[in-house]
Amino acid sequence: MNSVLGNKKAIVVLLGPALLVFVGVMVIPVVWSFAYSLYTGNVIRGFTFVGFDNFVRLFNDDEAHEAFFFTLKYSVVVTAAQIVLGYALALLYVFVLKKSSTFVRTMVFFPVVLPTVAVSLLFSRFFQFAPQEGPINSLLKFLGADTIDFMATGPGSFLVLVLMDLWRSQGFYAVLLYAGLIDIPDEILDSARVDGAKGGKLLRHIILPMSLPVLLSSVVFSFNSSLKVFDSVLALTRGGPGNDTTPLNLFMYKTSFLYSDYGYGSTIAILITVLCLVVTLFIFRSSRRDLTKD
Amino acid sequence: MIKNVKRRRNLALTVTACLSVSVLALSGCAQASGSQPTAGGDTATKLSILVTTENTQVPAELKKLADKQCSTQSQSLPLSIEQAPSASIQEKIQLLAGQDALPVMFAAGNSYIDKGGDLQKNGQILDVEGTFKDLGILDQITPSALSTLKKLYTDTVPSLPFQYNIEGIWYNKKIFDANNIAVPTTWSELTAASEKLKKAGVTPITASGQTGWTISRWIGAYLFRSLGQNAMLDVKEGRAKLTDAKYVEAAKAIQDLAKAGYFPEGVSGIDYDTANNQFLSGQAAMMYMGSWLLAKVNDPAQNKIGDAAQFMPFPEVSGGKGKIDEYPANAGSPTSVNPKMYGPKVGDWIKCIATNYGADSLQNSGTFSGFKVNGTVDAVPPITADIQKRIDASTSSVLWFEALFNAKATQDAKDYAAAFLTGSTSAQDYMSLLQKDLDTAH
Amino acid sequence: MSNPTITKTTPTLQPAVPRPRRRAPLVSSRSLTKVLVAALLIVVLYPLGWILAASFKTQDEFLNQPLWTLPAAIGPDNYLSALTQGNLATNAVNSLLVTIPSLALILLLGAAAGFALEVMVWRGRNPILLLIVGGIMVPAQIILLPLYTVYFKTGLTNSLWPLIITYVGHGLPLCVFLMATYFRSIPRELFEAATLDGGGIYRLFWSVGLPLVRNGIFTVALLMFFSIWNDLLIALTFNTKKELATVQVGLLNFSDEYGSLQYGPLFAAISLTIFGTLAIYMFINQRVMKGLTAGSVKG
Repeated sequence: MNSVLGNKKAIVVLLGPALLVFVGVMVIPVVWSFAYSLYTGNVIRGFTFVGFDNFVRLFNDDEAHEAFFFTLKYSVVVTAAQIVLGYALALLYVFVLKKSSTFVRTMVFFPVVLPTVAVSLLFSRFFQFAPQEGPINSLLKFLGADTIDFMATGPGSFLVLVLMDLWRSQGFYAVLLYAGLIDIPDEILDSARVDGAKGGKLLRHIILPMSLPVLLSSVVFSFNSSLKVFDSVLALTRGGPGNDTTPLNLFMYKTSFLYSDYGYGSTIAILITVLCLVVTLFIFRSSRRDLTKD
Repeated sequence: MIKNVKRRRNLALTVTACLSVSVLALSGCAQASGSQPTAGGDTATKLSILVTTENTQVPAELKKLADKQCSTQSQSLPLSIEQAPSASIQEKIQLLAGQDALPVMFAAGNSYIDKGGDLQKNGQILDVEGTFKDLGILDQITPSALSTLKKLYTDTVPSLPFQYNIEGIWYNKKIFDANNIAVPTTWSELTAASEKLKKAGVTPITASGQTGWTISRWIGAYLFRSLGQNAMLDVKEGRAKLTDAKYVEAAKAIQDLAKAGYFPEGVSGIDYDTANNQFLSGQAAMMYMGSWLLAKVNDPAQNKIGDAAQFMPFPEVSGGKGKIDEYPANAGSPTSVNPKMYGPKVGDWIKCIATNYGADSLQNSGTFSGFKVNGTVDAVPPITADIQKRIDASTSSVLWFEALFNAKATQDAKDYAAAFLTGSTSAQDYMSLLQKDLDTAH
Repeated sequence: MSNPTITKTTPTLQPAVPRPRRRAPLVSSRSLTKVLVAALLIVVLYPLGWILAASFKTQDEFLNQPLWTLPAAIGPDNYLSALTQGNLATNAVNSLLVTIPSLALILLLGAAAGFALEVMVWRGRNPILLLIVGGIMVPAQIILLPLYTVYFKTGLTNSLWPLIITYVGHGLPLCVFLMATYFRSIPRELFEAATLDGGGIYRLFWSVGLPLVRNGIFTVALLMFFSIWNDLLIALTFNTKKELATVQVGLLNFSDEYGSLQYGPLFAAISLTIFGTLAIYMFINQRVMKGLTAGSVKG
């Protein structure tokens, strides 16, 4: 058996192409770019070696700090909301709608496929304040509340940004988590019910622990994409007002390509990578089950 | 199951086909890229041009020229226009320049092509003035455009003046007349007029918070009136700082307009079209904007106020050094020429553009360029003629707020404009932020 | 879902028995459910309807009418200018030309690598898996400049190949990670039994391994399809030619130099994109949903 599963040539044939593309497209460019973090300059001007100056600068750069904390705030809020909402939807599909959930599942999932440019235009129109108020402000007015100029303030823009990302992705996470729930054996649920577990108790003691692995993967996946948020910010707020909604990724892009400081941009990229790594390890460590081991 | 096996076979086939195509493509293209351009000769095989996607006028105009006046040039060197969205064009220029692969003409940002800019240092920018002199067509660039370019680029001319615009305040004459307001010529007259309009229930001034420069340029225009011609040059060359009392005062003056409620509510969410539309549909009495608005003003579908749309210079500030007829002027988005692709054929093309572009663009789209208008142009609308007269009569021009800024300060000036106008960023903070950007330039 | 014996991903050695699909409801109130579902559908569908309505509006209606009004007339004008000015047809073809080969390559290479890293037994497979998984953490912006240089030097810049190669390389880490997870959840005994039957390793991969993770492949395919289809950053960087622009890049064609937008044609283009995608989506939906629901992301 081991001779078949340990076939050296087959390993090369099966793994080789993927590894080759991965090394070519990811590893080499990443190492190449990370090396630039020790330099200042860009491809036109050329690069000058500056040692760890960029890291010192990053450490003292208020703008970078703001972007860092915004990124953290954004990812925590979005991940929490995505998972809670997604999980609630998944529970709805599995335990309430049951077999008839297909249509709802499909419809709620659909916004994932919409282009970012389109969704951001949609949301800025919906939350519009002037010259005509958008549907949301009309609703507020109808309910007797004050209308809000969402895009004028940092918190307002943040709220719209989070809502937009949720609207877009809730269906996706719902389906992902749905997959975990549907795999819980009925026998376990039934015996728990016999023991008198109902509603919240059933959820807390049986369903939640049983779907923990898929929940964890979803959290990791959600965190890793929200820590690298770029498209939706660029399209909706362009990082504004001011830099109130500028995440690290946008800050890095602007630094590298708009302000032509590729070296410093690479340094910020390292920060993003390390952040993703730390958060992922933290999630794995803080959960009792380690996903990398079965 | 059988179906699935079949599908997998198909997938495998597709993949194999793709891979072999890729090998072919690799070898095929490797040959094509073999000829690297060398300096001096006519290395261009096309008149390749890279401008922003958003720039619709220049490509359209060049295509017209290629079909008509410049058809001979276009036969020996066909026109090939590539466009990239403004959000990513500087990234692209950087990447291309890093490979020494810039096209014949390209829209690189001001900080790249300015004297001492990265591309300039690298010898990737053609000296337009020298080349035009050699070709004997220097007189085809209008003196005002030439002086604007030199002011902008520290006495060098690294860009072709495809456009030439002056900026000022567009106002609604009908609303002014109805409220007994004369065209304001001083800042206090302007604020008084705004107050009067506000009391009459009219939005005095509109701007777009989404397009930040429609706000930041107010500060620049004010500075040129209060501190004179060199207001921004002094900042660039370190003789003054944006945090100096007089500079902050200008920013405060603009913020005061907003505080007094002269800008519409929710200005930060208003986009460019909405702002223009507010003015062109009579919902706002004034708007700071350039002469390029003519394209919309002369289009009855967009302009609902007809002849009432008029243009006035930015008012003087009492005790200020600037004069009212010094219009902020610009030569459109920069378009540079790659010296490594320059040769007789490219020169021929440029000659043809220089002699025909001015009249053609005025005729076709009613817009001004920095090229001389040769021959006669059929009757232009009165407002276009009025602005043309102002351009001709003006003896000197000034730049605009961000003109001499580096990329970061330019970006921040735009990004923070709305927050500044609504007061969530104070005038002092706004100016010190920009000064910091200028100080930490790399 | 229909055939739990194959699609079951829980590692269990019990013989799989089709289980009853009965679930006792957590919430009993029927009407509450109905209200909830209705609200959910409104939140999702109303904006889509709004986009469709917007695609028929004139610029004038956009600027001077309240946002919720319906267009005064339904005409093809916006759609015509979307197709002509926006090159939407070309863009769609390009998007397909890029997405399909990229997807096929990612799935094939990713599944093979996942198999080699998880099912096969050899020294050093864990560090390599970790290295590949680390690729998930890296922001895409960082690989652009080096790759551009390489694509340029090899003369690939004026084709769709840079996009395909980059998407494949960038998508692989997540794909390999997920595929490895799926393979891990299959009882090893299944593979060992198959080797005893005398099947070669390639047959083991192709005829035993792949069918077992079929649903997982659909999950990954879905994930990858949308991340490639909706990508703007990579497509913007490696494309300059209008003829090579993808749909996402094409949608940026509707504004002018000073920031002016043509709303009507833009929303018409968006509508065409959305409802075109919806058609494709409905077409493959059956398969995809089955894949997603059965092949869970389980550790």
